[in-house]
Amino acid sequence: MLIAFFAPCLSFVAAAQTATAPPEAQACVTCHGPDGNSVTPNVPSLAGQPRVYLENTLVLTREGLRGNPVMQGLMKGKKDVQIVAIAKHFAALPVRPPAPTADKALQKRGRDLAGKLRCASCHDKTFRGREQMPRLAEQREEFLEARMTVMRDKPPPGTDTIMNATLHGVSNEDLKALAHFLSQLR
Amino acid sequence: MNIKIAASAAACALAFSSAVLAQAPAAPPAWKQGMGDKFKDSPLAPNAAKNTETPASEIPIDKFKVPKGFKIEVWASGMPGARAMVRGDKGKIYIGTRGIGRVYEVTDAGDKRTNRVLVDKLTQPSGVAIMGSTLYVMAIDKVLRYDDVENKPDAMPEDITAKFNLPPEQHHNWKYLAFGPDKKLYVPFGAPCNICEPSEQYAQIRRYNPDGSGMEVIAKGVRNTQGFDWHPKTGELWFTDHGRDWLGDDGPEDELNRITKTGLNFGYPYCHAAGVVDPDVTKADKKATACKDVTKPVALMGPHTAVMGVKFYTGDMFPAAYKNTMFIARKGSWNRTQKLGYDVLHAVPSADGKSVKMTPFLTGFLDAKENKFLGRPAYLMQMPDGALLVSDEQLGAIYRISYSGAPAKK
Repeated sequence: MLIAFFAPCLSFVAAAQTATAPPEAQACVTCHGPDGNSVTPNVPSLAGQPRVYLENTLVLTREGLRGNPVMQGLMKGKKDVQIVAIAKHFAALPVRPPAPTADKALQKRGRDLAGKLRCASCHDKTFRGREQMPRLAEQREEFLEARMTVMRDKPPPGTDTIMNATLHGVSNEDLKALAHFLSQLR
Repeated sequence: MNIKIAASAAACALAFSSAVLAQAPAAPPAWKQGMGDKFKDSPLAPNAAKNTETPASEIPIDKFKVPKGFKIEVWASGMPGARAMVRGDKGKIYIGTRGIGRVYEVTDAGDKRTNRVLVDKLTQPSGVAIMGSTLYVMAIDKVLRYDDVENKPDAMPEDITAKFNLPPEQHHNWKYLAFGPDKKLYVPFGAPCNICEPSEQYAQIRRYNPDGSGMEVIAKGVRNTQGFDWHPKTGELWFTDHGRDWLGDDGPEDELNRITKTGLNFGYPYCHAAGVVDPDVTKADKKATACKDVTKPVALMGPHTAVMGVKFYTGDMFPAAYKNTMFIARKGSWNRTQKLGYDVLHAVPSADGKSVKMTPFLTGFLDAKENKFLGRPAYLMQMPDGALLVSDEQLGAIYRISYSGAPAKK
């Protein structure tokens, strides 16, 4: 299933921006976009993510404590300095979301829920993340929804318990609204 | 409050069908429980761990200060998340971690140190204890024993998890481990939340025979101890304990406690610090008696300072006044507007053990003006020559503090 999941990535060819990526990041752009803004369904954008968040996620993926087999395979054997270089590169890239397509009612439902769950206390009131907390604003909607569903239902080993506890009992419809609200932030 | 809603571990979530989940009330994360409306817009959150190696050249060792006549140097580095250290009979050192899931082994070649990963992919394997050359590693859901670990680098561990009856919750259940003078293994079981009324398995210190048999609960009402040691003369156990969060910048303070006999209650969740009655879980008719029969701390260690390792000094290298006194590491605060801690204190207990006199010993990790920290001193270990090792969890380094009496080089 994962293979099918990632197959579309292979058809994307790294474009102009790739030239600026350090060698370590060359493999990333195939799926995550030449400029770190993903156009691949279920693959997150990395542009503008906090550097520490990217570092931590990549280290835990390498250690086999987080992520999927494709990412674990890619990170295997990577040195810490290479991980730092990848994180630094994507953290510095500008976020370029597609034009908004907000559903006002869904957006409001998501905004209210984000307030109730106090998402902003970690992810920042702009939802652009900070330090170890990922940026949620302008992230791909279907990725956010899928990721939150996994965190709610069966967080993998190595994932901290905070998100699991926060999303405990949140309905599928509410997760959809949250993902919509966050992805449509501009 | 039902602790089952707190910090649901994976097992808990898996046990529910999505239909049940859809109806269950949302629970705040464990560390955020008890966060009143006053704090709902607070940007305070746990400090980010650093999971990548910090080269020795990037450690600002010149900023770290020790008293006159002492010297601090980087002794080992490149071990992200390094916490408690233990030393085997043959001189190898084993170091636990949390998020990165590793236990490191350090080999000391005299003029330099090398390290390797002994085991990885564990869930928060912060607990390490050693008896001779038999190493015990404790993670949230695993207890491993490595026989003759110093001589057998490729030895497979014995999995002795089943004997220890570990409860499922992760929060505050990462371990500090130590063998007592009675050769028993002492293990804390923290409260699985910031503030809640935990079930019988939590908020306590237990001891076991090394094989996991003979479990006894020796102290109750202990929220989250991450360090303890025995007084070299009296044999009494002294332990540090973290106070609860989200009651404001100034309290309740972290604690230094002393166990004079088994079975004492140290107050959690109803009575904190030197008598702060908890406003969230204490029922109105119990407020007057919440601190009755509670053993108060010997000393208050500052609000939210994250007091960690404590170690009695028994060596001959430091001046005689240090003998049988304590060093106490404070990893530093997150739940406080102005950061506090990020140091090692020297604590001299009174003859009756009922009070201590504390002074800063290792400082310079906190830039109070910028409200930023450079590192996080977490644990202490005495070497055979009397030098003191200090682990820095943030920078993944071990520092060596020695004494020669000579003034520091300028």
